[in-house]
Amino acid sequence: MIVVNVLHRPIRTVVSVLAVAIEVTMVLIVVGLTTGLLNDAARRTQGIGADVVVQPSGASFMFSLSSAPVPVKVGDRLAEIPHVLAVAPVLFQSDLSTHGIGVIFGIDMASWNRVSGGFVYLSGESFRGPMDVLVDDWYAKANHLKVGSTLSLLSQNFHVCGIVEHGKGSRLFIPLSTAQELSSSHDKASIFFVKCTDPGYTDDVEAAIQRLLPGWEIHSMQQFMSMMTSNNLPALDTFIDAMIGLAVSIGFLVIFLSMYTTITERTREIGILKSLGASKGYILGIILKEASLLGAVGIIAGYIGAALVRKVLVGSFPTLYVESMSAGWAAKAAILALLGALIGAFYPALRAARLDPVDALAYE
Amino acid sequence: MEPIIRTEDLKKLYRIGKLDVPALRGVNLIVEEGEFLAIVGPSGCGKSTLLHILGGLTGPTSGRVLVDGNDFRAMNDADRTRFRRHKIGFVFQRFNLLPTLTARDNIELAQSIQGNGFNPRRFAQVTEMLGIAAKLNHRPYALSGGEQQRVAIARAVICEPKILLADEPTGNLDTENSQLVLNMLRTLNRSFRQTILMITHNPEAAAVADRIIRMRDGRVVSA
Ligand SMILES: Nc1ncnc2c1ncn2[C@@H]1O[C@H](COP(=O)(O)OP(=O)(O)O)[C@@H](O)[C@H]1O
Ligand SMILES: [Mg+2]
Repeated sequence: MIVVNVLHRPIRTVVSVLAVAIEVTMVLIVVGLTTGLLNDAARRTQGIGADVVVQPSGASFMFSLSSAPVPVKVGDRLAEIPHVLAVAPVLFQSDLSTHGIGVIFGIDMASWNRVSGGFVYLSGESFRGPMDVLVDDWYAKANHLKVGSTLSLLSQNFHVCGIVEHGKGSRLFIPLSTAQELSSSHDKASIFFVKCTDPGYTDDVEAAIQRLLPGWEIHSMQQFMSMMTSNNLPALDTFIDAMIGLAVSIGFLVIFLSMYTTITERTREIGILKSLGASKGYILGIILKEASLLGAVGIIAGYIGAALVRKVLVGSFPTLYVESMSAGWAAKAAILALLGALIGAFYPALRAARLDPVDALAYE
Repeated sequence: MEPIIRTEDLKKLYRIGKLDVPALRGVNLIVEEGEFLAIVGPSGCGKSTLLHILGGLTGPTSGRVLVDGNDFRAMNDADRTRFRRHKIGFVFQRFNLLPTLTARDNIELAQSIQGNGFNPRRFAQVTEMLGIAAKLNHRPYALSGGEQQRVAIARAVICEPKILLADEPTGNLDTENSQLVLNMLRTLNRSFRQTILMITHNPEAAAVADRIIRMRDGRVVSA
């Protein structure tokens, strides 16, 4: 009977299913986008190849939220610590054009190469002049850049000197001195990437730096990676919660309205069921089962929707990482959608269960 | 033996706004098990209300109602629902089939609500007797009025209720179909000793019953 009822009102069914599908798609895409963003940043940070990450106090693992830079001389003291192979100071720069791809790294090529093992050049070569910029292959592809192109960054015209393989911290690199000049932070850096002579010394080096710079944010790369989740980003976490709340409200409201109107339409039918001896629980049950069915079909449609939206997003924005649906989040989205549908249907179901059978049978 | 239905000074008031409308003003009625009773009387005299109370669709305002040993005074809404589920079958003037379900599903629905599961023997017996075995896969709109009412009767008796309550079952049917439906009620009564209370306006219909009671202004005026 439940399936028949659902099929008997195709428009209502399609609209309800669509609402739940949009809800599920929205949850999965928001989560996929945000975790994709973080995972991408994490992968690239890991790709730098450093063992220890040193930042002044108050800094965040999200480089774009970083605090005021500190003297680059600190790096010289780090380099004196036993078992430290190399120290690469980096000054972060960001402007509107880098929005969504993180920050521009101002690097000192010699130290950067020692920490990271050097770029893989797909074309072009290293910095020649102060207004040179290195871009990674993804950024180049997304913005149709070639060696020799001009790229406007930080209100300056930069000259693309080389295209490097992606995966080393940033997508855009400029000389450290240029970055310092453009931001009037002479002889300053935002972060130090430290490479040990052997990864086995990581803990010792980390401890030594902690003694040298108490209060600083000093983490092994492994710790640093584990911090890169939305739980450690209150603003992002709140945003995700808000988007999920919004999505669930859509599903809830549409199911509520859909069940509410269907109950008015079906007053007589409910009277008939009651005349056959159907209890309140039975009536409640069929309405809730109907809502669950709409929810379940909507959830499956939402999975498909999320996969399609992800494909379109990834296809249109090559630099955008959208994490594919995780089993955990697929389950969470399904539970949220189902709960939303059940809660939305509950009041209409209760009204139906409480209808007076004589009145309901007389209903035209 | 205790009669299957006994009412004593049964009263029912409907409250419309601030006005009390008396629908039943003291009905005393005794029906024996296996009886086929016709209830006649002018429109608005309380016939349907009486049937609704006997079937537990609504409660009495005062007076006693005893149906198959159940005293309604001691029963709440849920008790009456359970009572109705197991002991009462309703047939209405407007057939009241669920439009989205086939004849078969309408009949099976009653069995599923009753909760004793599907009984294929009973199902075959009832549909055969009512002459609807060939129409079971049709939806109500594809059936004639007479067929719809026979499906409704099948649905009402499929769970072997103690009492069949029929509110003007031939009110929407032509003479031929009326006769068919009346014959079937008669057969149900004769072959299964089915207790039937039937409201009707039609003297010919009333004539198939064992006994006729007349109502006027919320009272039984002649038994
Ligand atoms: N649900 C109700 N609410 C208010 N008044 C009702 C209701 N049902 C019946 N009545 C009133 O009770 C009286 C008896 O109605 P009813 O039992 O339907 O009569 P009958 O079936 O003999 O035509 C009528 O005056 C009717 O208006
Ligand atoms: Mg009536």
